[in-house]
Amino acid sequence: MAIRVNGLCKDYVTESGQLRRVLDNVTFELQRGEKIVLLGNNGAGKSTLIRLLGGVEVPTRGSIELGMTMSWPVGFGGAVLPMLTGNDNIRFIARIYQKHIAEVKDFVEDFAQLGKYLSEPVKTYSSGMKARLNFALSLAVDFDCYLIDEVLAVGDQRFQRRSHEELFEKRASRAMILASHITEIVTAYCTRALLLHRGRGKVFDDVGLAFDIYRSI
Amino acid sequence: MFGAALKQLDTQRRIIGAVMIREIYLRFGREGIGFLWLFAEPLMFGIPVFFMWSIVRPKYEHGVLMMGMVITGYLPILLFRHVGGVMLVLVRSSVDLLYHRQITLFDVFVARGLLEFISNIMALVIAFLLFYILGDVSFPVDFAMFLIGYLFMFWWAMAIGLLVGATAERSVLVEKTWPVYSYTYMFFSGFFFLADWLPPKLREVALWQPSLQAYEMIRAGMFGKTLKTYGSPSYTALVLAVMTFVGLLALREARRHVEVE
Repeated sequence: MAIRVNGLCKDYVTESGQLRRVLDNVTFELQRGEKIVLLGNNGAGKSTLIRLLGGVEVPTRGSIELGMTMSWPVGFGGAVLPMLTGNDNIRFIARIYQKHIAEVKDFVEDFAQLGKYLSEPVKTYSSGMKARLNFALSLAVDFDCYLIDEVLAVGDQRFQRRSHEELFEKRASRAMILASHITEIVTAYCTRALLLHRGRGKVFDDVGLAFDIYRSI
Repeated sequence: MFGAALKQLDTQRRIIGAVMIREIYLRFGREGIGFLWLFAEPLMFGIPVFFMWSIVRPKYEHGVLMMGMVITGYLPILLFRHVGGVMLVLVRSSVDLLYHRQITLFDVFVARGLLEFISNIMALVIAFLLFYILGDVSFPVDFAMFLIGYLFMFWWAMAIGLLVGATAERSVLVEKTWPVYSYTYMFFSGFFFLADWLPPKLREVALWQPSLQAYEMIRAGMFGKTLKTYGSPSYTALVLAVMTFVGLLALREARRHVEVE
């Protein structure tokens, strides 16, 4: 089963009351285990596409058929409440994704290395610690496809190495939709690219070529 | 088929439970008496009001214990106002949760509504016991009818809450007028009067509103045949079912327009 994005359009109403089309007829497919990179300048529609793929916003036209489970954007921390402790947030994620609390906790403890801070409110964390918790929470749940939006540069070197290992080595068989400008990672793992420009999208089978064109626009 | 539906229901229940726990932390924090605020909040509104009434008004009015009327009048309208109030920001405050696909706006709506209900019922029980000990209220004559009336009041609050929650985000009018409306509504809701006290023509019109219907049932349950009441469960259920249906359609429309900032 694949992910099929078909004729996706998204309009927003501007302050002056006019319709602005941010995504215009974007179509692509993603097979199991396949990794695709999203390329585009600011305002090209990348973030909008991620919000639609993440399921938080609804397309104006077109459809997204999810033939596999898709993660929330990896490392996205919006659903983590600052006044809750790390452990509270772990329990919340475990409850809604029907996982054993102990299992999620073990993973997060091991991955985020927050030690006794897990029983402290998240608002007392440094930004690096928050990022580690968020990252760990999104990897604690098993998905067929991971949605990754520019988070590969969080944390210190050691943590970056760990996240790289967790994502691209341990989850090598998973599909990924990756918005990133880190050329080494993209060219090493992605086999296709979706280049967005002014809301329009074009799929490239040659990632190198897509990068060249992206740099020239 | 049946098994799948049951499993779906179980999932829904678990998600609503998880969102409720989250809501409690969100509203009351983790420190101090924490979730006990849930019960304390409506009581802090209610108890001073009740004592004031018990001082300024005679013990018996219209042949029934006055405090019985006040407690079973004030707390339901408080429920109505609180449910509407928390639903004003339903969409805005749920956006982050919607990144978790299995959580719907409806789940958050139910979780919030249930919390308000639990909080209100606890306050009702505590206030009731307090004034029972003081000899100012007596137990409901027909408890089942009392409960049905109270549940209808909750349903009415939820039906309005659903409409408020689904429209407030995109309508400044709803957002700005709700506090005024919910306050003035108190005077028309049936809190201060029985249908029987109204002239027949006016009574007929007043009984269109579900809240007066619910109040009539609550009072029928509370005082039995001492008072003449006009509550009709079937009419009220019908009106509320239609309102809920419209509210659900509005919520679906609101979901289509959710925007992340």
